[in-house]
Amino acid sequence: MSVVIGGPAPYVYVCTRMRVRKSKLLPREEYLRMLNMSLPQITRLIEEMEYKKEIDELASSFDGIDLVEEAISWNLAKEFQAILAITPGILKQFTKSYLRRWDIQNVLTIIRGKKQGMTAGKIKEVVVPAGSLDVLFLDRMIAEESAERSIEMLKNLPLYSVIEREYSGAVETGSFGRLENELYRQFYADLIEEARSGLKGGNQFLKSIQLDIDIRNIKTIFRLRGQPVSVEETADVWIPGASFSVDELKRISQVETIDELVDTLRKKVKSPAIVDALEGLREEKPIHEVENSLTRAQLDYMDRLSKRNPFSIYPILVYLEKKKYEVTNLRALARGKQANLPAERIEKYLVI
Amino acid sequence: MVDLGVATVTLEMVAESQMGLKAIGAALAVGLTGIGAGLAEMSIGSAAVGATAENKDIFGMALLLTVIPETIVIFGLVVSLLILF
Repeated sequence: MSVVIGGPAPYVYVCTRMRVRKSKLLPREEYLRMLNMSLPQITRLIEEMEYKKEIDELASSFDGIDLVEEAISWNLAKEFQAILAITPGILKQFTKSYLRRWDIQNVLTIIRGKKQGMTAGKIKEVVVPAGSLDVLFLDRMIAEESAERSIEMLKNLPLYSVIEREYSGAVETGSFGRLENELYRQFYADLIEEARSGLKGGNQFLKSIQLDIDIRNIKTIFRLRGQPVSVEETADVWIPGASFSVDELKRISQVETIDELVDTLRKKVKSPAIVDALEGLREEKPIHEVENSLTRAQLDYMDRLSKRNPFSIYPILVYLEKKKYEVTNLRALARGKQANLPAERIEKYLVI
Repeated sequence: MVDLGVATVTLEMVAESQMGLKAIGAALAVGLTGIGAGLAEMSIGSAAVGATAENKDIFGMALLLTVIPETIVIFGLVVSLLILF
């Protein structure tokens, strides 16, 4: 654990930078303007913004939708790595742990890609090196002959034990769903353990992780509604450690009417922003709208927490999350435009 | 018996010690306000550097905000000058 010398100044420095960066993210009006543009116009607009460098770099290798997607993914990865470089002391440790979710995503992408016989170039395109595994390491993983050899490279990482345990089962069944669930469960368990280890600012970190877990679990409950799955089948999708225990989640997922479901969830959830979002879910909606409103509520609440604790982990986490959704939104916009979807339809998929 | 001759304080001595105390007061006025301004500027300065690193256009405003606590030292200086003269 590294300790910051020089009092609160480094925290103030980093948190201010995060706030400035957050203010530079695309506002709602800009998305609405982009909804009425064509794909080349969107590409040009993105090029005029923070993504200029990446678009220029990649313009020779990609074009159209692939260029947009690659550029925004690269920008995200670079941005997250830059943040990691400027965060001091304990905040760096927390940020690094938080960004490990990208490692999970990348490792799973590589394993899945290799198992499905994708080419190395294609896998490289979809990997986002925003976590602790850098581009070189991921490139070496992709270059390995088989998925098993790639997994061997992870030996010193916390991911390895879970992958080693679940991999053979995943290959047998042909589905990596269980492996993915287990990886995320371990990821959150590790984060909670780290936040509770008595480090300064750990409580605030814990609160944001628990919020994330709650939102994830609630999203899963809504996703499973109306699906013909038994309690046993869904046993490994729940993430413990926050407001709900696994048993409670199993029970809640069996609730039939939506009013009863919202009431049960409201009793346990503490943050007012989430309670408001849940109130808005009393009528049946398509799942992407439910997820959108929950994500918005989560971001709003984190934003509020970051204003209440201006020099803590919150401003960093809020920026990381908001940046992630900006990239997701731009991707949805570009993909939607390419598929000639109407603007109203695309708008419903944007987190703005 | 106390020797009264030893305890005699002359007028010069009183005047000198008064000057000494005034000097200490003046030093405290400038010194403590200096420390206060330094503490205040620590956070503002690091925030200003952070904001300027992201957006160079706000350098002028950031500099202005950083030096606002300097007024505390000026108050201290004025008080110390009033004490001394």
